[in-house]
Amino acid sequence: MTRPNDIVPPKWSLRILRFFVKKEYLEEIEGDMEELFHDQVAQGSLSKARRVYTWEILKLMRPILIKNLSFVQNLYRYPMFNNYFKVSLRGLMKNPLNSFINLFGLAAAIGFCVFAYGFSRWAHSRDQFHKNKNEVFLVTFSTNRDGSLQQYGTTPRPLGEMLRQDFAHIKKVCRVEDREAVVKYEDLVFNQRIRFVDPEFLDLFTFPLKWGSARSLADVNSVILSGKMSIKYFGDQNPLGQTILIKFDKDRSKAFKVTGVAEAFPLSRSIDFSFLINYENFRTADPAYDFHDWTKFVNATLIQVDSTTDLQSLKRGMEKYKRIQHSAAKEDWAIASFNFEPLATLHERTDDIRDDIARGGTQDNYTSVVFLVVICVLLLALACFNYINIAVVSAAKRLKEIGVRKSIGATQRVVIVQFLTENIVITSFALVLGVIIGWFVVIPWFENLWDFSMGFTLNDAKLWIYLPAILLFTGIASGIYPAFYISRFQAVSILKGSVKFGQKNPLTQILLGIQLVLSSFFITSAIMFTQNTSYLAQRSWGYGQHDALYAVVPDRQSYEQLHDVMMREPNIVRLSGSRHHLGKSSVTTVIHFPEREYEVDQLSVDPGYFETMGLELQEGRKFNDHERSDQHAIIVNEFLVKNLAWENPIGKTFKIDSLSFEVIGVVKDFHYASFSEPIKPTIFRVADREDYRFLTMKIKEGSKLEAFQSLQAKWSKLFPEVPFDGGYQEDVWGGYFEEIEIYGHVWRVFATLAVILATLGLYGLVTLNVSGRTKEFSIRKVLGARLKNIAANVTRQYLALFLVALLIGTPLSYIFAKVIIEFAYKYHMPITLWQAVMASIMLIILLLATVSTQIIKVSKANPVNGLKTE
Amino acid sequence: MKKTKLGEFEELVLLTVAALQEDAYGVEIKNELEKRLKEKLSVGSIQSALKRMEEKGFLTSEFGEATQKRGGKRKRIYTATPYAHRVLADLKDIRAQLWTSIPKLAHALKAI
Repeated sequence: MTRPNDIVPPKWSLRILRFFVKKEYLEEIEGDMEELFHDQVAQGSLSKARRVYTWEILKLMRPILIKNLSFVQNLYRYPMFNNYFKVSLRGLMKNPLNSFINLFGLAAAIGFCVFAYGFSRWAHSRDQFHKNKNEVFLVTFSTNRDGSLQQYGTTPRPLGEMLRQDFAHIKKVCRVEDREAVVKYEDLVFNQRIRFVDPEFLDLFTFPLKWGSARSLADVNSVILSGKMSIKYFGDQNPLGQTILIKFDKDRSKAFKVTGVAEAFPLSRSIDFSFLINYENFRTADPAYDFHDWTKFVNATLIQVDSTTDLQSLKRGMEKYKRIQHSAAKEDWAIASFNFEPLATLHERTDDIRDDIARGGTQDNYTSVVFLVVICVLLLALACFNYINIAVVSAAKRLKEIGVRKSIGATQRVVIVQFLTENIVITSFALVLGVIIGWFVVIPWFENLWDFSMGFTLNDAKLWIYLPAILLFTGIASGIYPAFYISRFQAVSILKGSVKFGQKNPLTQILLGIQLVLSSFFITSAIMFTQNTSYLAQRSWGYGQHDALYAVVPDRQSYEQLHDVMMREPNIVRLSGSRHHLGKSSVTTVIHFPEREYEVDQLSVDPGYFETMGLELQEGRKFNDHERSDQHAIIVNEFLVKNLAWENPIGKTFKIDSLSFEVIGVVKDFHYASFSEPIKPTIFRVADREDYRFLTMKIKEGSKLEAFQSLQAKWSKLFPEVPFDGGYQEDVWGGYFEEIEIYGHVWRVFATLAVILATLGLYGLVTLNVSGRTKEFSIRKVLGARLKNIAANVTRQYLALFLVALLIGTPLSYIFAKVIIEFAYKYHMPITLWQAVMASIMLIILLLATVSTQIIKVSKANPVNGLKTE
Repeated sequence: MKKTKLGEFEELVLLTVAALQEDAYGVEIKNELEKRLKEKLSVGSIQSALKRMEEKGFLTSEFGEATQKRGGKRKRIYTATPYAHRVLADLKDIRAQLWTSIPKLAHALKAI
């Protein structure tokens, strides 16, 4: 029921009207509006009338009708802004050196900010291109590991099929399992990773296809290739309809028809594929593969639900599977609970989930983003400090201008606005330059270092919020102090010439000091990271990686063949076979003690493996070298002994899968995959000859290349159809050393930039200082001052500052750089104060060199010219 | 003819004011003009045209009666000044002359 007094125009619109419209017009217009409102109400609905009323009021916002509010009044000062613009351009032209220092510094810092933005966007866009990312979930389970629950990304094999049958609200289910296989097309033969998936895979992961259809995966004879693989095997040709041969092992192979090729994958992703074939192909690839075995795991099971609210009931429904699994599976793998990880956030969680199909590294990337932001803020601060210092010191040159402006009526506020406008103008130039630097220098440099592409583009709405924000922030942060400082002076005293300022501003000193401390920190880090790289290159891996070769063999028969051939090689000293291999493969096992259980890495090797690889025994004995002996013997590493706090490790016993084992020896600690991975508790067992997958060879010193070449030659003779997989043991860490070299490189760049910014700032300051005292120095010279007197005079005012800054800076740099290097490396060189001291010495030399350029200039100048100035 | 600075829309509003006589106030001008132009006009456009013309000396105004419907607020009645009448007449003449010259022009063009 609408009461008559409800029929009034909306109050807030009326308030807008009253606020904006000129007082003298208000009565008339308000009356008109109200009359129209009631006409409208009489015609139709109240709500429409209100809408029309509000809309009409908004349309009343015309210059002629609205009040002259203060900001509108400011627009009348447009000619003034025009003048500020002109003055700031002239200022830029007049002091090219200072302008360069300011512009370059700000632009370089902004360039890094642009890069940091691009990187952060890249890191956060991971996997976000999948259309169903919020409805797709990875099924994970948790199991008890030594008292704490550990989450795994794998799932029991039959679960996927059962989920599909048992739950109506699960829309799609997809199992994923990977196998290595040889893929052959004409004479192109490579080892490849094949992904066995259910046909729904491409519905869950919405990778667009370049050619073919996603539906074709339902056919067991079809294969879908990634864009990269298509190019590898077929070049730019459309391969649809071509047949490729996949050899799953020595006896089993199958021809597949190419029915689809994916577009190039989005750059930021944690899951992708090379070859997709139907899951049912396990029937051909591996006849022993039991689809219903609850003790075996599949790499991943993914589901898609209609709505995420179903998850709770789904979770409850999963309880029954636990019972089935418990009765079938080994105790070690008894499932405590099932969980669902959404695809949208899987990439963030993957570092905490074991054995899941997503690649990790997101957390590292997030850390890098934080780190980059800190660096960028520091660089921006350095550049802003330069600006502030130069502006304050050079204020003397603009005294007259300010004096005149003030005496013809400019208030302090007007002068502040003028200076800030100038600043924004300069910062805008820097911004344009910075975007160019970021886009064409910093980003390509970084992408090149890490060999990836972050897909930076200017066509990004958020970037256009970010850039003006930087502009405003930098413009105001660097301009506010000089603006207040300069505008403070009285016009009269300026014009009388009785104001002396700029030379000894305490803030200038403090800012310069902070710059020096920051530079010292950057240099210290650069030195530490660089030294650490060479330190780690020298550091022992705990075994003889320099004299070892390895080759991956498909089965025992090939192992024997290769073994027999290589045994006759003169350059090979020893050979060993193993199921796992240092740096290449191992398996996680749980060992049971009566009172607790403990998770370890396990490697199965032959008795001679320790000698071949140069692993040193700390105590006890190695495995005996006769068939079937030491089946229940175990050799552990030092770390395991230390972790379990064993006084006397030899003779200790434990159980694996209800079999009893006894420790017979302890091997010294070794690094498995890189220095950034912590050493893990590890056990060695005797491998069954049937399981040998690696042939390792110890080579005669100095014959590495020959041995490797003959290994490759023998391989291609023995197995012309199988691609060779193996190499130098020292290469098994992959790009680890290149990677840590990059850290050093990045730090050196930051340090160089920081030092350039700081010295440029100092150079600008000293130049201004000296040029302001031209007359004074000329008089001194005329009166007989020598170079050393002048040098002492110029240096004196900075020396105290340098010393204080470095006394504070050195220990601070030491502390912070140490924190960073401990964060970056698990094992690093011993850190001493020495690196920080070295950084300080370098910095002092640079600073003195900077100051001395000006001293030389003064001493060379003719005093007569100097006396004529002013 | 000297510059009168009368825009097309302003001219229409001015003519409406002249036509409405004592009834020439905001809402009435708007309604009349909407009826003739057969399109919706906003209060803002009418008001700004009125205010501009008042500044230029085409219109004078004074407060009129207040009504219940207007929430007790007075109307402002606009009157066209003699100067405005003269300018309007001038414009009409110029237009008329131009119109009469159209057939000749068209004929001349055909001859080429």
